[in-house]
Amino acid sequence: MRIGVFVCSCGTNIAGTVDTKRVASEALSFADVVYATNYMYTCSEPGQQEIQKAITEHGLQGVVVAACSPRMHEPTFRRAVEKAGLNRYMFEMANIREHVSWIGTDKEANTRKALDLVRMAVAKLRFNAPLFSSKAPVNKRLLVIGGGVAGIQAALDCAEGGMDVVMVERKQYIGGKMAKLDKTFPTIDCSSCILGPKMVDVSQNEKITLYAASQIESINGYIGNFTVDIRKKATYVNWDACTGCGACVEKCPSKKAEDYFNEGLGQARAINIPFPQAIPKKAAIDAQFCRQLNGKKCGVCAKICPVKAIDFEMKDTIVTEKVGAIIVATGYDLFDYSVYGEYGGGRYPDVISGIQYERILSASGPFGGHIRRPSDGREPKDIVFISCVGSRDASVGRPYCSGICCMYIAKQAILTKDHMPESNSYVFYMDIRSPGKNYDEFVRRAQEEYGVQYIRGRVGKIYQRGDRMVVQGADTLLGVQVEVEADLVVLATGVESSSGAGELAEKLRISYDQYGFYMESHPKLRPVETNTAGVYLAGACQGPKDIPSSVAQGSAAASKVQSLFAHDTIETNPQVALVNERNCIACGKCIQVCPFGAIQWKELRGGIKKAEVLQTVCQGCGVCNATCPPKAIQLQHATDNQILAEVNELCA
Amino acid sequence: MLETDRNQLHKLVEEALPELDMVIGWGQSTDSFQTTPVFVRDAKQISQLTLGPFCSQNLTGYLVKPPALDAAPKEGAKPIGICVKGCDSRSLVALIQEKFLTRERVRIFGIPCRGTVDWNKVGKLVDLSNVKSATVEEDVLVVDDSQTTHRIKLEEVLARKCYGCRYPNPLIQDVTIGEPATPRSTSIESSYRDVDRLDAKPLEERLDFWQSELDRCIRCYACRNACPLCVCQDKCIIESREPRWLTQRVGIPEKFLFHFIHAMHLAGRCTGCGECERACPMDIPVTLIKEKLNKIMEERLGYSAGLDVEAVPPLLTFNPGDTEI
Repeated sequence: MRIGVFVCSCGTNIAGTVDTKRVASEALSFADVVYATNYMYTCSEPGQQEIQKAITEHGLQGVVVAACSPRMHEPTFRRAVEKAGLNRYMFEMANIREHVSWIGTDKEANTRKALDLVRMAVAKLRFNAPLFSSKAPVNKRLLVIGGGVAGIQAALDCAEGGMDVVMVERKQYIGGKMAKLDKTFPTIDCSSCILGPKMVDVSQNEKITLYAASQIESINGYIGNFTVDIRKKATYVNWDACTGCGACVEKCPSKKAEDYFNEGLGQARAINIPFPQAIPKKAAIDAQFCRQLNGKKCGVCAKICPVKAIDFEMKDTIVTEKVGAIIVATGYDLFDYSVYGEYGGGRYPDVISGIQYERILSASGPFGGHIRRPSDGREPKDIVFISCVGSRDASVGRPYCSGICCMYIAKQAILTKDHMPESNSYVFYMDIRSPGKNYDEFVRRAQEEYGVQYIRGRVGKIYQRGDRMVVQGADTLLGVQVEVEADLVVLATGVESSSGAGELAEKLRISYDQYGFYMESHPKLRPVETNTAGVYLAGACQGPKDIPSSVAQGSAAASKVQSLFAHDTIETNPQVALVNERNCIACGKCIQVCPFGAIQWKELRGGIKKAEVLQTVCQGCGVCNATCPPKAIQLQHATDNQILAEVNELCA
Repeated sequence: MLETDRNQLHKLVEEALPELDMVIGWGQSTDSFQTTPVFVRDAKQISQLTLGPFCSQNLTGYLVKPPALDAAPKEGAKPIGICVKGCDSRSLVALIQEKFLTRERVRIFGIPCRGTVDWNKVGKLVDLSNVKSATVEEDVLVVDDSQTTHRIKLEEVLARKCYGCRYPNPLIQDVTIGEPATPRSTSIESSYRDVDRLDAKPLEERLDFWQSELDRCIRCYACRNACPLCVCQDKCIIESREPRWLTQRVGIPEKFLFHFIHAMHLAGRCTGCGECERACPMDIPVTLIKEKLNKIMEERLGYSAGLDVEAVPPLLTFNPGDTEI
């Protein structure tokens, strides 16, 4: 093989700590290397032309570029060599930037390591073979997981573009966290007034199939061709019949069910429609609290229901949908305030979370929009807000900023003053983070026009004195201890990843960070893509986000799907496993370990069994190859021989 | 007692033989003390069958290895009878787990085992080339080498694997011959004493140990061929040129690589039957490498191979949420 080696200086990024000229000149001595050079920016247009020129002039059959991580520019260089007539897989990349120049300053050692990596790349390339993609059709249907505002936006955008959309929401209703909010910052527009119409659009759009009270059971397939099993949870109400009249809710004798929608502030009936504008507006039974389902005599709802929709025998059902792309918009959860024992959240009824206060403020909330204390129903006069409860605190495993709390506290303080002009609001804060359009102005308005008292400092302790709460903290600007007596304390609980985020990520085969937030493909340049082709992210599942950003991401993910669906076919990745039937001993271990169900039995003449890889399902993870005892199954472009060649070079 | 058990075995085989294709068991070898596998197809051969501490071979390999009996037999084929000790029965369990065998394919004659004799050990005490007869009286091995009659305590010349044996009684069987045996070991600790002894040594000493042991290896592959779970046959990666993991060069690195590939392919599958070590003509403790892996499997993953037909070996499954791997 005639191999050319191109060593990139990347300005000074690489050349600063690696002798790139020496790497190039020494590479000339490696087996099969007939040409080697060093270039300032190999990824630039002239840099790529240099490669193409060398391919023609020196009759190169394979190319090694020693430069940055293949993550970004491997596709660039593959295209470049392809244009010059080579197969795109006759190319190897040695990462001498992230793996060498950026991690060490010893130029001599770095240069040696760079040479090792180039030598390994050359050794591997000598075993490369041309690979060819095939084409697979694209199923132009979209799955949106999560019916919060980000998912709604994505679904509506795609439906608008004429695509079929399947939306799966784990709760009984769509709207997510936003549906629970009273008003939104910084415009103080009513949350349900701006979200409500979008929710209605989802339910009325013929292109959108909504599965509420449903969860993802399993996902198989690949970009353009996913098969998704959806578990429709038993609601014990036939939703095809239910009209949402609410007669059952009114008559249900079990009145002590947990009111999830009102964050536990009130009590719900065992059969419930969570809020008047709920979409879908259907009743569902909470099996934990239903008398009939717990062996007692009842069945009142079944008797009262005018359309006979109640079905106590209902079981979970699995429906299968085929889609071509998936947008994950599973949102977030709120930090458990009881972790801070010193604040007394969960112990004192008048220490509540931000989202609970949101429900108190809401006209559809437990107190009809009148501000009341949960303990005695009295109107509070002094209200303390405490920021960063579960944010920016490494000691509770939440070192990150939740990004929304400073703003929602300011909003809630303003609304408090609107509701009760005589009230006093205090905010304990660490820093005020308000970097959005009109955000800082909004916080200043709270301070200046609404007289909210901002105290910079942490709260050390909250305890009861009579029927009031005493908040003890520090004012770090004045350098004094402060004590504020309050009727109500609102803890600005921070954002954490949605419960079950990890399990869903495993099903989707996307990565997530240590906090359970899903990882985008590139933090700047590919913010809504994941590393699994065809799976996109929107909203707070990727990290704490406010409504405008979530909506923007919903639209961004939708546009990614639309550009994917603009094609009728996609090229499959030929870097997949392949069975050498001659060596296959039909032990079936590959079939057993394949995480993607991509391997099946194939019967040859005479009933001889062999393993066979479904090329379009295989993700190229290599677990089969590692398991196969005679190594009859080989991962193309990472074959045993290629890896052994690299190892041999390294150990030579 | 041996005599009674042998008669019972003959009787049971005689009863079952008409329904079976054959019965694989042990018979007297030509050298008057060792046993050899016998394949009983005819009632006249039944008298050849024997049992006892000389029956060291694990016969289960014959069910899946050449001259191969069909793993997937033709319709209506009769089952095959096989005699197994406790350790051998675990190989059967593993083979059934991995679908190389179906349970219906075999009729299992279970033989509780009180340990098998390691003739290499006996050979150090007695000149084996002149042995006239060898018999067992209770727990004593009586060897007559035509000059003297040696009386050797059985407990001193058992195969290495027997001392840590937790499963002397077959775990899977259709009939049992004789009384159940008492396990010599009942815990992980007492089952892996040899591993622990070696592990207690410093790294350099361990390396020296394995270098000197494996240096004797002649790469005859007898260990591999004897292993009932080494099922690749002539597709073995060791001799493969495509992909080419190993050259034919005779050097310690190649010997190491061979033995460690062999062991890795058995990780979580090896039942510790000791066939590899028994077959080794160079007296290398090759089972010890697998024992080390078996210990890790037990301690880290709580898994011991060949105990439960329904269990899935941990390395033959893929669980993305697994935190132990």
